[in-house]
Amino acid sequence: MIMNEVLLDIKGLHASVEGKEILHGVDLQIRRGEVHAVMGPNGAGKSTLSAVLTGRPGYEVTAGSVSFAGRDLLAMTPEERSWAGLFLSFQYPIEIPGVSMTNFLKAAVQARRKAAGLPELSAAEFLALIKQKMALLKMKPEFAKREVNVGFSGGEKKRGEIFQMAMLDPVLSILDETDSGLDVDALKIVAEGVNSLKTPQTSAIIITHYHKLLEYIVPDVVHVLKEGRIVRTGGRELADRIEAEGFEGIDG
Amino acid sequence: MDRLYVIGRDEVPQRITLGAGESLRATFVFPSRVDSALDLTVDLTGPGAELDLAGIFVCADAETVDIRMNVRHLAGGCKSNQLFRGVADGRSNVRFDGLVYVAPDAQKTEAHQSCNSLLLNEGARVQTDPQLEIYADDVICSHGAAIGYLSADEMFYMRSRGIPEEEARRLQIMSFLSPVLSRLPESAYSLIGFQR
Repeated sequence: MIMNEVLLDIKGLHASVEGKEILHGVDLQIRRGEVHAVMGPNGAGKSTLSAVLTGRPGYEVTAGSVSFAGRDLLAMTPEERSWAGLFLSFQYPIEIPGVSMTNFLKAAVQARRKAAGLPELSAAEFLALIKQKMALLKMKPEFAKREVNVGFSGGEKKRGEIFQMAMLDPVLSILDETDSGLDVDALKIVAEGVNSLKTPQTSAIIITHYHKLLEYIVPDVVHVLKEGRIVRTGGRELADRIEAEGFEGIDG
Repeated sequence: MDRLYVIGRDEVPQRITLGAGESLRATFVFPSRVDSALDLTVDLTGPGAELDLAGIFVCADAETVDIRMNVRHLAGGCKSNQLFRGVADGRSNVRFDGLVYVAPDAQKTEAHQSCNSLLLNEGARVQTDPQLEIYADDVICSHGAAIGYLSADEMFYMRSRGIPEEEARRLQIMSFLSPVLSRLPESAYSLIGFQR
């Protein structure tokens, strides 16, 4: 078996929020091309993990290291992490009234190109890119004209996140509770979008406490996060066992 | 009528009277980095008169913005809506005094007024004083004044998409101002420090 290059390497990660330690030493390694699920009950530290990885203010790393494509992730600003290819699909996407999805994404795409030393896209090139990605995700053209997340249903918000993901072409996507508040139809659409963006070079972390999403986005590795630690790592059968027995009996 | 007034550039009325069936849509721009003041009384004197008024200020430095609005519903069945949005940075000083008066026999009046500001700097000051004086009983009136700060959640959302902090700040300010900004021609954006 050929092992791909390690993309994300989390070692002994401890993190606190408002002085209270939530992550008590997380170790996690993700190789290129892999999809990992991080499952766990409420309060296990799942959202803290995604917040720390993306650099959300208010989360303090007290010990440990994270390397991303060979770089020190924790030393980077949130925008630098994005430029390096990290993407977070928010559990609760934020509304930005008066700013269209198009203008929002234009700011994001152009900033990333600038950071990579590439020339800005012309208006026509950008429009073509938006059209191509919307077609890929089978989205209606009106979507790009709407104000960011304003008046979106739960399903539209999550689809909007996947659309942003498609536009930003990430190397590592973190889907934080992308399934919460979605009915099965919306779940399928979102999963289809994620699957269509998958390449042998890119990886994903699916954070969830349900099994459902993992029927549509099949993980290579499943981790169970409990009380701030990864207590079990296995294949997809681990997700099936959690579905049948819950998190109760799974410990390190 | 749809009018745009740039304080300090255009001749700005001090008193406007709207008679029966007359309507006015007016937008006032308080340019950045200069002191500006507006002292305006609008009388609604005949049934069906409608006022749709908005104002926008983007204080960047140490300027003073002084707004005194006096909207008087002297006849019944009129509508007025006042919408002010602005940001105060640096050591700027903003004062908003807004009075909506509804005369005793001005029944079926609809009057709304709001002045919301974003404080960007500890050295900046915003003082708002909205007042309603209502002497009729069959009216719909509202007023509001809110002073807030940039949202950390919005900021992080944008930065997580690779939008640099400065640009995220600018987008968030535009988002906050958008209800009034959308009334301006793009040629007026530079007056308040925006380029597009």
